[in-house]
Amino acid sequence: MTTSVTRHQAPADGRTRRGGAAQAASSRGARRRAARRQQLAAWLFIAPVTIYLVMFYAYPLYRNLDLSFRNYTLRSFITGSADFVGLENYRAVLSDPAFGTALWNTVVFTGVSLLFQYAIGLALAVFFFRKFPLATTLRALFLVPWLLPLLVSASVWAWMLNSDSGVINWFLKSIGLAPIYWLTSPNWSLTAVLITNIWIGIPFNLVVLYSGLQAIPDELYEAAALDGASKWATFWRITFPLLRPVSAITLLLGLVYTLKVFDIIWVMTRGGPGDSSMTLAIWSYRLGFGGGSPHLSPAAAVGNVLIVIAFIFGLLYIRAQRKAMNS
Amino acid sequence: MTRQRRWYTTAIALVITGIMLFPLYWMVNVSLTPRNELRKDPPNLFPIHATFEGYSRVLHEQFPYLGTSLLVGLGTVAITLILAAPAGFALAKLRPMGGSVLNFLLLVAQMIPGIIMAMGFYLIFNNWGMLNTIPGLIIADTTLAVPFAVLIFTAFMIGLPNELIQAARIDGAGHWRTFRSVVLPMSRNSIVTVALFAFLWSWSDFLFASTLNRGGSLQPVTIGIYRYLGNNTQDWNAIMATAVVASVPAAILLVIAQRYVAAGVTAGAVKE
Amino acid sequence: MITKHHGAARIGVALTSLALVGVLAGCSSKSAQPTTTAPGATTAAQAAGGTYSLWDPYPDRDAKSTWAAAVNVCATTLGITIDRNSGNTGDTVKDLTTAAANLPDVAMVDNPKVSTLADAGLLTTAAENGLDTSAIQANILSAGDMNGKVYGVPVGANTLGLYYNPTVLTAAGVDIASVKDYASLTAAIQKVVDSGHKGITFSAVGTEEGSFQFLPWFWGAKADLTKLDSPEALAALTLWTDWVKKGLAPQSVLTNTQGTSWDEFLTGDFGFAENGSWFQSTADKNGYKVIQIPGINGGAAPAPTGGEFMTIPIQKDTSRYATSAKIIECLANGSAGATALGYVAPTKAGADAQATANTPGANAFWGKAVADAKPRTADNLGTKYSIISEQLYTAVQVALSGGSSPTDALKAAQAAATKNLG
Repeated sequence: MTTSVTRHQAPADGRTRRGGAAQAASSRGARRRAARRQQLAAWLFIAPVTIYLVMFYAYPLYRNLDLSFRNYTLRSFITGSADFVGLENYRAVLSDPAFGTALWNTVVFTGVSLLFQYAIGLALAVFFFRKFPLATTLRALFLVPWLLPLLVSASVWAWMLNSDSGVINWFLKSIGLAPIYWLTSPNWSLTAVLITNIWIGIPFNLVVLYSGLQAIPDELYEAAALDGASKWATFWRITFPLLRPVSAITLLLGLVYTLKVFDIIWVMTRGGPGDSSMTLAIWSYRLGFGGGSPHLSPAAAVGNVLIVIAFIFGLLYIRAQRKAMNS
Repeated sequence: MTRQRRWYTTAIALVITGIMLFPLYWMVNVSLTPRNELRKDPPNLFPIHATFEGYSRVLHEQFPYLGTSLLVGLGTVAITLILAAPAGFALAKLRPMGGSVLNFLLLVAQMIPGIIMAMGFYLIFNNWGMLNTIPGLIIADTTLAVPFAVLIFTAFMIGLPNELIQAARIDGAGHWRTFRSVVLPMSRNSIVTVALFAFLWSWSDFLFASTLNRGGSLQPVTIGIYRYLGNNTQDWNAIMATAVVASVPAAILLVIAQRYVAAGVTAGAVKE
Repeated sequence: MITKHHGAARIGVALTSLALVGVLAGCSSKSAQPTTTAPGATTAAQAAGGTYSLWDPYPDRDAKSTWAAAVNVCATTLGITIDRNSGNTGDTVKDLTTAAANLPDVAMVDNPKVSTLADAGLLTTAAENGLDTSAIQANILSAGDMNGKVYGVPVGANTLGLYYNPTVLTAAGVDIASVKDYASLTAAIQKVVDSGHKGITFSAVGTEEGSFQFLPWFWGAKADLTKLDSPEALAALTLWTDWVKKGLAPQSVLTNTQGTSWDEFLTGDFGFAENGSWFQSTADKNGYKVIQIPGINGGAAPAPTGGEFMTIPIQKDTSRYATSAKIIECLANGSAGATALGYVAPTKAGADAQATANTPGANAFWGKAVADAKPRTADNLGTKYSIISEQLYTAVQVALSGGSSPTDALKAAQAAATKNLG
């Protein structure tokens, strides 16, 4: 992605005009008409997506808001009526002791995931940027983990991290370490799902950061080489700063996607043992469908809290982007 | 880089890729393990008593599911491209008023957790009679990719040189003609990138398939896997075998398409 | 030229994919998902009989399975078409909730969930839909009975037992006749572990399956579900935590489903496994035997009954109830449905026939075990069971993983249960 944004206005008429006020006025008018036609064209181009957004995103979001502001029981899904309770569900959810645990787990899960996914993805992107035999094929193979439904990847990792029959513990035992109860100990369960989530997130970072690397002009590297800069200095002074916009969007999208993560944790630990690996997304599902009886309204409330958190980060990103553009 | 250094790097790359793909190897290992050794402690590192039971079940039962997944995947790609490419072009070059609001909304759209989307879709599709249909599932799967696709297209098309576009306009081409004949051919790389993401996300989707297509006669492979998750028993080597078989065609597509993903998001036009 | 090469490759890929789609989708002319139509029913009969939808939680039983055959037989007998639709058992409540505007004619629901769905008004009572439940055995029907109203009929019943591996036990010098109560069982497991094998495997997962597996020990210690923090409950939980702490049971019990636990037992390393009657035929093939789970001081512990209930969700067109009821009666009578699933038939006549025929999962042993078993929603618990169960399996998870002591875990569970019930 380019760091500078230039505005171009297609001139309505490429020929220069000499002439008086009338001609100037008519050329201004022609320009205005062209500009309006362009706006109209622009709106026609984005109309399908806008309609699509309203139909398919606005409605589920509205339903979820409705669920959270009313007291929905299973019965309400049949009769269609539920009492309006205002912010009661939110109050109940925010004052629940599980909220603190879920929030903390979400912060740790998201923060650590992003850090490692980004760092490893970047390191791999830089590594694969060189030209060596099989580079492109191997890089393509890195995307294969994405082909797997999350049910399968999470199950394979659960298999490998099994306390007794898992290959990871076999490996630890073979180098003389004690086996770790990855999924069954409250101290390790969050780490276990983190490892899996990082593994799953690396391909995305790799692909996006790699294409960011490609946008950096070769001349800059040549110039640095001529100046005798070391590889490390080249990376920190040239590559990393120029990658900033790509990094920003990668991290933001990574944040948005990680906040939503559900399948991985559910398949591996269901948020357990106890609450040790329960994030806000898991808590929402547990309230809704996981536990004894469905509490859909609190579940919807937790879901909305998640969206608000993501929203705040989205605003921060826009602010940072605007600042970068103005500087 | 000297020839020897390059092979050295390849060796390191192979090791790194091997570590990254080890879980996939393990998946193959489990798929060949007989039932009574699945939970052996210590586990077999190689499938010494390999059984093809899982694979024979898969090959007899899963092809229709794979076909459906492929159909849904290609449909998702088509619709995503049709919706996102013009929008990306408009946001990048035509600068509509409210464009930045739309950008932000697309970002927010991606923040909605899947289960909320799935429940909303159920109600919408139920009203339109689109439950248990392939087009319904395709539309649901496009919601996984469209916002991201618009982002990619916008970012890429901003980088396209304006001179070519202006040249076309001067020659009297309308916006649509410009888009079709000038911008799209230059965007081949971002088209392939978007197509790849859309296909992969749709291929691995389980949530929408299980909520919206529970009763359909054509179901994708993610549901097909559930045939091996019975009420009281789970048939793990068949599940892993399905995953392996499902990954193979998509992996081939990946390796073919990666030449395009290589040039990826930006500046492909310059490199061509 | 580079461009031409790219273009050709892309066209090649596109054509290959289209061809592949054609071939693979063509294979789907044979139905890929379990649909049962009455064989030999003419189009006229189909049109006359109508199509009824049946949701069951058996996605692993496809169109060629014995279960599908049993459903088939009922469809033929009634002259209708039954459209079978299978989903994951854990998703049943979610699927029915999402589909509230569009419920199936017959829904098969896991037995502790029947009261939840009934309470929500999703299900019709026998009075409303005309279901005849007279032949069903009382102790397995009661899970579907709420306040005197019957919401469904079990397709069959299953329960838990203590399987053992005679080879491992002989090698360890354990005589199964000596296993009579908690203490002697623990001693036997210890002997097995001392001889170099693994002890006992079961499922303590954080779902209803975990509660199901814990209940025989809980009830065997004479504990009551309304008092999760009683000394009796503590005795039961301590039994399990001690086993895990001393290495008599593996850590994996915390994540094991019953199926996974059975896979562990099949490795031949384990001496004991707590599991259900549906595995009897596999046990026979491997030479494993089974006894009833011992109570804390001797005798057989009351085990919980399992088995899905066939219910009739509410429909806009109430005239459909009569036929739906007949479908259910057909599947409950005789023993074809239950035998196909490895369950004990719900009627006395059916159960006796199975016992005589030594049907796996429904032989004399299991017939008696089911007769001795107790439904989970018994003692007038009804909808309260689900709420209590959630706290019970959470307490088990927390205690076994070392997060809390058993006393604290149970105290927290009781407090949460009281709060959620109130």
